[in-house]
Amino acid sequence: MFVYEKKLQYPVKIKTPNARLAKAIMSQLGGPDGELGAALRYLNQRYTMPAPELKAVLTDIGTEELNHVEMIGAILYQLTKDLTVDQIKAQGFDDYFVDHTTGVYPQSASGVPFTTAYIQSKGDAITDLHENLAAEQKARVTYDNILRLADDHDVKDAIRFLRAREVVHYQRFGEALRLLTDKMDAKNFYAFNPEFDKSCLVKNKRNRKA
Amino acid sequence: MPMTKREAMLKQLSTYQFAALDLQLYLDTHADDGRATEQMQRYKQQARTLRQQYEKLYGPLTKSSDDGNQWSWINGPWPWESEADN
Repeated sequence: MFVYEKKLQYPVKIKTPNARLAKAIMSQLGGPDGELGAALRYLNQRYTMPAPELKAVLTDIGTEELNHVEMIGAILYQLTKDLTVDQIKAQGFDDYFVDHTTGVYPQSASGVPFTTAYIQSKGDAITDLHENLAAEQKARVTYDNILRLADDHDVKDAIRFLRAREVVHYQRFGEALRLLTDKMDAKNFYAFNPEFDKSCLVKNKRNRKA
Repeated sequence: MPMTKREAMLKQLSTYQFAALDLQLYLDTHADDGRATEQMQRYKQQARTLRQQYEKLYGPLTKSSDDGNQWSWINGPWPWESEADN
């Protein structure tokens, strides 16, 4: 079950509002490669994973992505706090303001509302892990793009933390994929779906015992 | 805006929590790594101590923490706010 801790995973302390930047960063909340998609993807894929290490990795990374959803929310809140209508107009925030004022709403930078169509849970462990490797790279590039657009030191600090985590998650999914294929018939990984054809996994194969 | 004492304490707690979290994630795919396990336990112990100190001074961090009264959970600042917001 989920337990909430009344703190952010990493501090977000932004002093200067910037609605234009908020619009760009919004994609990491509600965009195609954002944290919300990541959290839903991993937390939904985990149920049918055929090995306990995979259930653990997906649960733990999925949970961390929810921490990141919250951090992005905090960034957006602080970037749009106490804006005047003149600032909203000058910073190109009019269209968002009409529908959401300065509320936090999951959409992409270009205004497309979040959709589950951004994620897949294919019910096949090899496929889902590849989806996840790609997702982490896409998220990393999105953060790279945000860093190119941002001048604010406080914003960049939080964004750099989030970007670094994407790289680590990519690493963990790579290891999970290796762990999975070690348990499968090396002659043909695609002969079976380990989530659906339960007997295809090599039972009790110990990979790392001394 | 310099950090308040509360924010500084929270940052210290977060540092140890994060170190433990990162190792715990690694251990999901390397469960037999004894050294990493020990290191994680050390970070967790540090985090536990810091959390107790923080909660004593500033109130509960989770619904299951011990707290004096319901208002200490309800009242700010919430994680996305600064002290000045309240």
